[in-house]
Amino acid sequence: MASKADSSNFAQAEKRRDTDHESFLAHKRMRWLKISAVLCLIVVISYFLVDVEPRHNGGTWYGYTLGTIGALLIAWLSVLGIRKRNISEGKWSLKAWTSAHVYLGLALIVIGTMHTGFQLGWNVHTLAWALMMLVIVSGIYGISVYAALPRALSNNMREMTRKQMVEGLAALDRQLDSAAQPLDRMEADAVINATQQDAFRAGLLARLTGSYPRCATKRALKAFPDGALNKHEEKVASLLRKRKSQLGQIRRHMRYKALLEVWLFVHIPATIALLAALTAHIVSVFYYW
Amino acid sequence: MTFLIRTIDFTASGREIIRDRTAEQKTLSIGRASENDIHLPDLAVEQNHATIRQSETGSLIVEAAGTMGFTHDGRKTSAATIDPSTGGELGFGAYRLQIAQDGDGPPAITISQVEAAPEADDNLAGFALTAALPSKRVMAWAGLAAILLAFLAIPIYTHLNRSTVTGDYDRAGQVVMDASWSTGALSTAHHGLEDNCEACHVEPFQSVRDETCLTCHEGIGDHAEIPRQNTGRGPLSKGDEIQWAIADMFGKEGQGSCTTCHTEHEGAGRMEPTAQKFCAECHDGMDSRLTDTALANAADFGDAHPQFQAVFHPTLGSDATARISLSKNPKEQHGLKFPHELHMNKAGGVARMASNIGAKQGYGDSLVCADCHTPTADKNSFLPVDMEENCESCHSLVYDRVGTTFRSLRHGNVAQMQADLRAMDRAPRRPVTTGRRRPGEYAQGGRYYQNFGRPARSYIAVNRALAPDGVCGECHIPTTNNGKADVMPVHLRDSYFMHGYFDHKAHEQEDCTTCHAADTSKSATDLLMPDIAICRDCHLGEQATQAEVPSSCAMCHSYHPSTVPGAPGKDKGRSDTVALISRKPD
Repeated sequence: MASKADSSNFAQAEKRRDTDHESFLAHKRMRWLKISAVLCLIVVISYFLVDVEPRHNGGTWYGYTLGTIGALLIAWLSVLGIRKRNISEGKWSLKAWTSAHVYLGLALIVIGTMHTGFQLGWNVHTLAWALMMLVIVSGIYGISVYAALPRALSNNMREMTRKQMVEGLAALDRQLDSAAQPLDRMEADAVINATQQDAFRAGLLARLTGSYPRCATKRALKAFPDGALNKHEEKVASLLRKRKSQLGQIRRHMRYKALLEVWLFVHIPATIALLAALTAHIVSVFYYW
Repeated sequence: MTFLIRTIDFTASGREIIRDRTAEQKTLSIGRASENDIHLPDLAVEQNHATIRQSETGSLIVEAAGTMGFTHDGRKTSAATIDPSTGGELGFGAYRLQIAQDGDGPPAITISQVEAAPEADDNLAGFALTAALPSKRVMAWAGLAAILLAFLAIPIYTHLNRSTVTGDYDRAGQVVMDASWSTGALSTAHHGLEDNCEACHVEPFQSVRDETCLTCHEGIGDHAEIPRQNTGRGPLSKGDEIQWAIADMFGKEGQGSCTTCHTEHEGAGRMEPTAQKFCAECHDGMDSRLTDTALANAADFGDAHPQFQAVFHPTLGSDATARISLSKNPKEQHGLKFPHELHMNKAGGVARMASNIGAKQGYGDSLVCADCHTPTADKNSFLPVDMEENCESCHSLVYDRVGTTFRSLRHGNVAQMQADLRAMDRAPRRPVTTGRRRPGEYAQGGRYYQNFGRPARSYIAVNRALAPDGVCGECHIPTTNNGKADVMPVHLRDSYFMHGYFDHKAHEQEDCTTCHAADTSKSATDLLMPDIAICRDCHLGEQATQAEVPSSCAMCHSYHPSTVPGAPGKDKGRSDTVALISRKPD
C-alpha cells in the first residue's frame, strides 16, 4: 500500500519535473501552436469563401467580426505584462499563458491583416496595424535571440562573473596607473584617457554592433608603437593590451545583452502605443460612423 | 633569489607608511599565519594560503596551497604565472599584492589593504541595455500620449468646437488631423470633400444620414414610392436580419438608405457600382409581392432576366409606338424600303456601284455599316442616317444639267420636287415644226433659243418620280394624300430600349454584325436589335466568373430616376445620374 503511494508520488514528481524542463514553445505538445494554426486556417479559408460587397475591408460584417476578435486578442496578449508578475501553476500556469501569448500573437498576423482586407494607407487605422506588426516582429526576434544567443553569452563569460570582469578591468587600471609613473606627459595622458574612459558609456549602436571607433585604450596603444619602446613603455603597452582584451570581453557581453534585450525596448513601448492607436482606431471609426 | 617586499599602510590620519624589505629565498609563502613571509592578517585568508616562486625564465609562479584560490587581475584562480616585467595584481581577501619589476632589480611585491569595496552593483547595471536607452516605461507613456493626442484628442476637440456651416463642396473642413481617420480615398465624384470630413460625418457617433447626402444630391428621386419599395423588398433572410439588427444597434439608418448601396472610401476612381443583390432583393420574384407590377422579375442577367422589349413604330405611316418583346419577332414599319442585305452584299450591283464611285466617296469594294452610320462624337451611339450625307451619293436626285453644273431635286418636300420638275425647261423637246430652223441666235444652240414645245417629258418625270419605280419610289413607299401623290411619312428611332443603357464605344472591338444581323436582313421591316441571348454570349450575372464580362444590374440600368418630377432645371439626363456614372468608361 505504502509502496504504491510512493511510486505514484514518484511518477507525479517525475511528470512535474519533466514539465518544468519543457520550453514554453513546446508546452503541452504545442497545444497553442495547433490552436493558432487552426484559427489561422479558418480565417484564411473564410476570407476567400465569404463574399462581401464591394470587397473585403474592415467595414464589412466579416471585417467587423475579425476586428473584434483581433482587438480582444490584442487586449488579452498585452495583459501578459501584468500576468507575468504573478507566477502560478497548473492550467493557467505562466508557461501556458506565455505559450498562448506567443502562438496567438503570431495568429494575429493573419487575423489583423485579413481584417484590413489589404487596404492600407497613411491613417491611424494602418498605424494600428503597423504597430501590431512591429510588436509581433519584435516578439519573433526576441524568441529567436533567446534561442540562439545565451550560449554565446555564456561562452564569452569564460566562467567569470560580470563583477569579476569589472574588477579585472579595475585591477589593470591600478597597475597601469603605477606602471605609467615613469612615462612622459604625452604617454601619461594617453594612459589617463584610456583608464578614465567609462566602459559602460556606450550608445545603443555601439552596444548592438560591438564597434567602438573612439575607444581610448585602442588610441593609447597607438602611442606605444612596437619596436621603439623602453622597458617602462613596454610594460604599459603590455598592460594596455590586457586592458583592451578585458574591455573586449566586457563589450561582447554588453553586445549579447543588448541583442537579447533590445526587442523588449520595441515590444513593450510599441504594445502600449498599439493600445493607444487601437483605441483611436476604434473610437474614430464610430465617431465618423 | 631576491624579492623586494613593500608594505603600504595608512595611519589613522590617512598618512601613507611605506616599508620596504628584501627577502632572499627561493619561495615566498603567503598566509594568515605569522610565520609566513607575507603575513596577511585577514580572516578571509587561509593560514597557509599560497606560495610564490620564480621559474627559470624569470616569471613568478603563484600557486594556492589549499583549496581556496585567489584572484589574478580580478579573476579567480588557483594558480597563476606572472611576468614581473609586465606585472600583475593578486588578491587575497582584503589584500592586494601588486607585482612589478624595475629594470634589472628584483621583482617587487607591493602589499596594500583595500577597504571592503562597496558592492559594485551600480557598475554591473552598465552591462544592461537600460544604460543606453530611455526606459521602456518612459517610451511607452510618450508614445501613448502622442498617439492619443494627435489621433484622438485633437480631431475630437476640433470637431466638437467647429462652427456649423452649410456644406460646401469647394471648402476645406475645420476639423484638424481627421485626415488620419480616413480609411481610404474618396471616389472621383466626392474628391472635393476629401479634406472636409464633417461635410458627411456631421454628428459624432452617428452614421452618415440620407439628409446629408441629399443636401447636394437634391435632384435624386425615390426609385419608387417608399411603401411600394417596402412591399416589393419582401422578408429578410436570417443572416440579413441579424446584420440589420446589429447595424440598428450601432445606429445605422436602415435599409434603403443611401449608404446601404453606396460605400465610400473605397479608393480613388469611379464609385463602386452597386451590387446586384441590392436590386435582386426586390426584383427577384417581385410579382408575387407587388401583384400589380408591370415589371417582369429579374435577379441576374445571366439566368433571371426577361427578354428585351423594343420601342418602335409598328404601323406604317403612323408615329404611334409600341413596346414589344424581341422574342415576338416585331416588325418595324418606319416607312422606308431598305433591305440591309442588298446594300451589304459583297457581290451585287450595290457593291459594283460602291467600287465605281468609291475613290470619290470613300467607299471600299462594297458598302460597310460605317459608310452610312456615323458615330456620335463620344462614340457611345450613332447620329441619325441622313439622306443627303449617307444615301444620295448613289441614290442621286440629279434631274438636269446646265453647263457643268447638275441640278438636284430637293429632298423632303414633295411639292417643291414637283415644281422643280415642271420647270425643267431646257430638256430637249420635240420641235413644233419640222424642216425649218429659226434664224441666227434664235436657232437651237443660239443665245436666244427658246423651246416652245410640249413639256411632256417633265410631266412624265413628275408622275414617274412618285411611282413605285420612280426616283422617290426607290426608297419611299408612294401613297396619296388628300388626292395628291405623296410618300409615306418616315419614322426612324434613335433608340429602341427604354430602361437599358448601351455603350457602343465599350463594344468597338466587335463587328456590328456580331449583334445586329444586318447582313442577312432582306426586309426593311426587320427590327435589327440583338436579343438577350446575344448579350449573354459575353455578359452573365455578377457572380458568373466564368463569363467574359460578369455584369451587375448597374452596368446597364440606373436605379435613381433622373429627376424628381417637377424639379426645376432638370430634364432628361439618364446618362448623368449617379448610378450610371460608375459604369461609364473614363
